[in-house]
Amino acid sequence: MGIKIVPRYGKSFKDKLYLPAIFAGMKTTMSHFAKNLSDTSNIKTECYPEMKPQDITQRYRGVHRLTHRDDGSVRCVACFMCATACPADCIFIEGKERRDGIDEKMPAVFKIDLLECVFCGGCVEACPCDAIRMDTGIFSFVAKRRKDFVLDKEQLLAHKSFEGEK
Amino acid sequence: MNIILIIVIVVNIIIALLFSLGAAPILVWVERRVAGFIQDRLGPNRCNIAGFRLGGLIQSFADMLKLVFKEDFRAGAIKEKFVFSIAPVIVFASAFLSYMVMPFADDLVIGSQTFVMQGLPINLGVLWFLAFAGLSIYGIILGGWASNNKYSLLGSIRAGAQVISYEASMTLALISLLITYGSINLVDIVNFQGKLLFGFIPAWGVVMQPLAAIIFIVTAFAEANRTPFDIAEGESEIVGGYHTEYSAMKFGLFFVGEYVAMSASSALIVTLFFGGYNLPWLGTATLKEHFSAIMWIIVVALPLLSFLFGRWIVKNNVWPKTDDIRNKETKWLLRMMVLMNMVIIAILAYFLYSGIGVTGTNIAVAVIQVATFAIKLLLMNFVFVWVRWTLPRFRYDQLQNLGWKVLLPLSIANIFLTALVVVGFGV
Repeated sequence: MGIKIVPRYGKSFKDKLYLPAIFAGMKTTMSHFAKNLSDTSNIKTECYPEMKPQDITQRYRGVHRLTHRDDGSVRCVACFMCATACPADCIFIEGKERRDGIDEKMPAVFKIDLLECVFCGGCVEACPCDAIRMDTGIFSFVAKRRKDFVLDKEQLLAHKSFEGEK
Repeated sequence: MNIILIIVIVVNIIIALLFSLGAAPILVWVERRVAGFIQDRLGPNRCNIAGFRLGGLIQSFADMLKLVFKEDFRAGAIKEKFVFSIAPVIVFASAFLSYMVMPFADDLVIGSQTFVMQGLPINLGVLWFLAFAGLSIYGIILGGWASNNKYSLLGSIRAGAQVISYEASMTLALISLLITYGSINLVDIVNFQGKLLFGFIPAWGVVMQPLAAIIFIVTAFAEANRTPFDIAEGESEIVGGYHTEYSAMKFGLFFVGEYVAMSASSALIVTLFFGGYNLPWLGTATLKEHFSAIMWIIVVALPLLSFLFGRWIVKNNVWPKTDDIRNKETKWLLRMMVLMNMVIIAILAYFLYSGIGVTGTNIAVAVIQVATFAIKLLLMNFVFVWVRWTLPRFRYDQLQNLGWKVLLPLSIANIFLTALVVVGFGV
């Protein structure tokens, strides 16, 4: 095994004077101050409500959406896989028979309680039909009443992918 | 008693109030914005009155209002109610009073009368400052003890030990300065620094006594309880230190008192080491002699500087949302700046045309010196803020080591050195 000798600082006269190190530190902070004062656009801070974040990636788990088939109808087949996988028990589904010949079953009610949801993405992983996704990029949801946080099927279907529908 | 005397005294008191009390909100603002810029953040920039943000200065007034209107809560465990209430007043009043002997201009001569340009026209000078700077620690100790809380008590004990150890070196550093200047009167000290050394270097205290300058500035940081010596607060170790139990305006007085004390320390540093109200190479006599030339320089330089400042405002004073009321501010600021330029230049042009007279020259020199002092004061306060956001806090034993084993021997050695030079060369 090789031995790495770590140099110890603080014993030399220059180190014990403190002042050279202090002035070096003050030089660093001053350079930041001068740079930012001369041009505040250098600062990466976002003025949030006015400037929206631009760094939401594909893998960001935002509020859920229900996807559509090519003909625009709901893709979900009410198999309850997502509700079973959900660790927070926040998905409420009632199935019904589908009579338009595209598929056999569809949800009559599909509700997600955002106050219960932990945004783990388990429902997306569990879905066999790619019917539920969390790629809306919606990170902020506000309402005045508790029941407004429970999204129903129509609201979930209305959400768009933040990169446009694929 | 005559009318000029009353006017000058009132003006003096107003300037002293502006420099001490008026400095507090400005310093809070400077602290936050400078901290933001140093850490690549923006700092407060949102608060506005009808769109006027003044770079975030309005936030200070919002905070002050918040402190005034908050509930003044006092825990039931606090038995010494009177001491508890009087402690922030002591801190604030002593910081405030220590400001009152700072000369912000040379003695003003109007007719046959001479006025001392200080808040209080007394000749105690440095001694007055030392007395009141030392008194402010009583407020901290009493506040921490009356809080009936172990963290508060710890904070106040730390503050007491720190101020006692650093005051010794501070006073000794001052003694070597007083040997050099030969006076405790701050006006005499500043006028001494108006002279030139070897004919071209301004004889500022920092040139004459560099070691004393370093010791004094370091101890002034400790005296004002500023980082790296703010172990009295030590929020990472002992909650909030001595002001843990305080809320609302009682806390506000501690808070404002800290900034006033910091500003008073910088005023003393500027007065003792950086030439006070003197412009470098331009003493009071030189200013009076060449005053029309000075006016010409102002007439040329003011629009130029205003133009550069205006360009900076246009570039940086923007708000991301285009239809926001805050975006109208830049236009009004520029208009006000142009108006101010026009008024000042018109006044100066009138004086250049008609001549300004002896009394007029004296008053105008005083105005320039007050402005010089204000700028130097602001720069020194900036150094305080700058150091706070650069250096981490000292550990307690390191702090005492530095105070007793380094600064105290150095300051004593400096006294001997100064005395040797003064006696040996008869300077």
